[in-house]
Amino acid sequence: MKGLLFMKSLLSEINKSIGKNDDLYKWSQDFGNIQVVLVGLSSLIDFPKTIQLLEGQIQTVRHSSEVIVQQLHKIGKVKSEKKEIIEAIFEGELIIFIDELGLVISIDPVPKTLNRSIESPSSDNNIQGPLSAFNEDLSTNIGLLRKEFSSVELQVSSYTFGNSQKKGLSLLYCKDQVNNKLVENVTKQVESNLDKMLYTIQDVTKMLGLPKYSLISSFNTTESPQEVYSNLVKGRVVLFLDRLPYALILPSTLWDMFAIRNDENYSFVIMIALRLLRVIGAITALVLPGLYVALVAVNPEMLRIELALSVAKTREGVPYPAFVEVILMLVILELIIEASVRLPKSIGPTVTMVGGIVLGQAAVDARLVSNLLIIILAASTIASSTIVGFQNSFTIRIFKYNTLVLASIFGVLGVFTGLFLVCAYIASKTTLGIPYLSVKGEMKSG
Amino acid sequence: MNIKKSKIYILLVMLLLLTSGCWDNRDINHRVMPVVLGVSKESEEEYKAYLQVPILQEDGIKTQIITGVGKTINEIVDKTSANLESNVDLLHIKVIVIDRAFAEEGVKDLISGIMRSREIPSKALVAICEEDMDEFFKKMSQVELSDGTALLDYFEKNAGWNPQIALTRVWHVYRSIHSYTKDVAIPIIRLGESTLIEQAGSAVIKNGAMLDEINSDETLLYNAFQGMSAHGKIEVLDEGSVLILDNGLNFASRLENELPILTLELQLEVMILEVKGDPTIEKIEKELEKLLKPRFENMITKLKDSEADILGIGQLFRKEIPRAQLKDWRSKYYPNLKFNLTVDVTIQNSGNLKEPGE
Repeated sequence: MKGLLFMKSLLSEINKSIGKNDDLYKWSQDFGNIQVVLVGLSSLIDFPKTIQLLEGQIQTVRHSSEVIVQQLHKIGKVKSEKKEIIEAIFEGELIIFIDELGLVISIDPVPKTLNRSIESPSSDNNIQGPLSAFNEDLSTNIGLLRKEFSSVELQVSSYTFGNSQKKGLSLLYCKDQVNNKLVENVTKQVESNLDKMLYTIQDVTKMLGLPKYSLISSFNTTESPQEVYSNLVKGRVVLFLDRLPYALILPSTLWDMFAIRNDENYSFVIMIALRLLRVIGAITALVLPGLYVALVAVNPEMLRIELALSVAKTREGVPYPAFVEVILMLVILELIIEASVRLPKSIGPTVTMVGGIVLGQAAVDARLVSNLLIIILAASTIASSTIVGFQNSFTIRIFKYNTLVLASIFGVLGVFTGLFLVCAYIASKTTLGIPYLSVKGEMKSG
Repeated sequence: MNIKKSKIYILLVMLLLLTSGCWDNRDINHRVMPVVLGVSKESEEEYKAYLQVPILQEDGIKTQIITGVGKTINEIVDKTSANLESNVDLLHIKVIVIDRAFAEEGVKDLISGIMRSREIPSKALVAICEEDMDEFFKKMSQVELSDGTALLDYFEKNAGWNPQIALTRVWHVYRSIHSYTKDVAIPIIRLGESTLIEQAGSAVIKNGAMLDEINSDETLLYNAFQGMSAHGKIEVLDEGSVLILDNGLNFASRLENELPILTLELQLEVMILEVKGDPTIEKIEKELEKLLKPRFENMITKLKDSEADILGIGQLFRKEIPRAQLKDWRSKYYPNLKFNLTVDVTIQNSGNLKEPGE
């Protein structure tokens, strides 16, 4: 009888704190001669199937109540604290209250399917390579990776972050290849910050104690299991955050901007050519707008006279100085890029079209900018998209302004000063003790 | 990043923007970019400068000539710049044309002025004009379809230059003024009858003043001496003509009793262009050697007499003559130079036809 009272008070307490949720489901059920109450969230649990399954398991054993309880013990965990029980409910478990015995057991029910199926990547497009991409579910992602990397070397450690709300984070590395100090560092950071709440990559950055103001992403993100595999083998550490369909690869290095594993699905020569193309793309994107301003406004003597004359002709009647002209068009271009990310897919083409007309023709016809500038900006924008990883192309897009401002002041010298500053900046970056400019061979010796 | 640190960064950016002095950067369409600068003496003290400026037009490029008179080139440019709607930017000047009379008088000050100036590039080419300058530039601006770069193209190695034309830049002239052992030749141009420009050999320049002239055949040898006569053509009077494919020069220099002695071997690899009759290869080679040797010898003798060392023979004796005596090279050693020249011609191929005489 003591158990019954305890049950009653526990149930009413739970009711009091979370009972207002309409998806909280309570159901009295008889298993043989035992009366139980099933509690769970109907939004997370497929109740009919769960009950069917439970009945199937218990009906096969037509024994006394002790046996049934024993059976339940086997498939579930005993809970006693109210807080524990509420947490279990929100994690999608089914709670079984057995009034007579004063026993609370939580079991894993049949969940509702709330995840997308495995789809092709949406931002890491590739042409000739595997197409499965990670999705929001942590265990699916780890499963995908286990398929890609079926070896005892793959080590997976899972952590749960947060107090009131739980968030899963998994740490993966290849035991053989990884730099032990790096794993130690990451594990230490993770374990000492388990109470923090993780929602976004910024939270993860903060949790790992990585620089907040860095222009270079400390993580290399990818959607492709193939990419993660190749990084694990290279000795990197990979983090999966629950509900984030990306793998976070630590540390990221400069070469990640230019090389992806999928290049190796082409022949060697083509792989080299592709990577070279990306390097050229990065340099073009960095230098071109700055070079335009430098050559047009500060150092026209660098141009051959024929070229200088035709450049001067395209700028005839343009009211703004070259720097203002470039900034104006660059801002419009950035707006178009941002808008085409934001907008629904059905409206996206409209923006592209309007942007294309505004940039391409009208601005030149109105003599607001020179048509050479349009070519330069188009080339630079296209070039900055050849870089691997969207977060890296942001970096290049920001560095571009650095070169541009210096070029407008110091001319061609400024372009090189800008490049020098960029080099100095990326050389100064380290992620958990590993320099951003480190190359393959040094990773292990670290 | 604390507040103090960010304040310093903001200050640095402000300094960069405010103290960089970039406020007077002019865009390319607000600059007048002359490509040719002509200089003559107007009076004892005043220069007259001609600026040949390509002007953009709807249907192409037209040439405009701007002239000005003043005591210095900078004064003239300043004056014209003030009168023009755009700023004159001398950085694009590619050719500097000097009036012959002025060149004979000496252009030392002008050349040093250009070298000192940060505006006019020291790599601009120098030419001497035999014609009246007013006439010359008037013709320049009248040329049909001229894009303003005609004179420039004439000297461009990838356009109109050929090895009969000396190629001398401002810094070469400046170097020759201050060197003990090297002078320069400056091409002489005049208006052509059927072509725009005609070349009339080269001027021998010593200490910034024109002393003598060499003709275009001699200029070809001068260029061969500098190692840049490839694709020059030589007429062999009786047998036809050949094209120089490659040239090399071997020399041995020694000093005997303060007398410089030079053994020179000029090697030419040539290709047959035209032949008259059926001369054998050996005959052509021999004829060519016979033609070139006296030509070369005459030139050196002429130069020796004028004490202008445009071939830079003095450079070859630098290891023999002590530094202290080097300044006497032109006056003491050079006129007494004894030289022994051999010309060695090899016919490398005979074009698309078989060798003549076979």
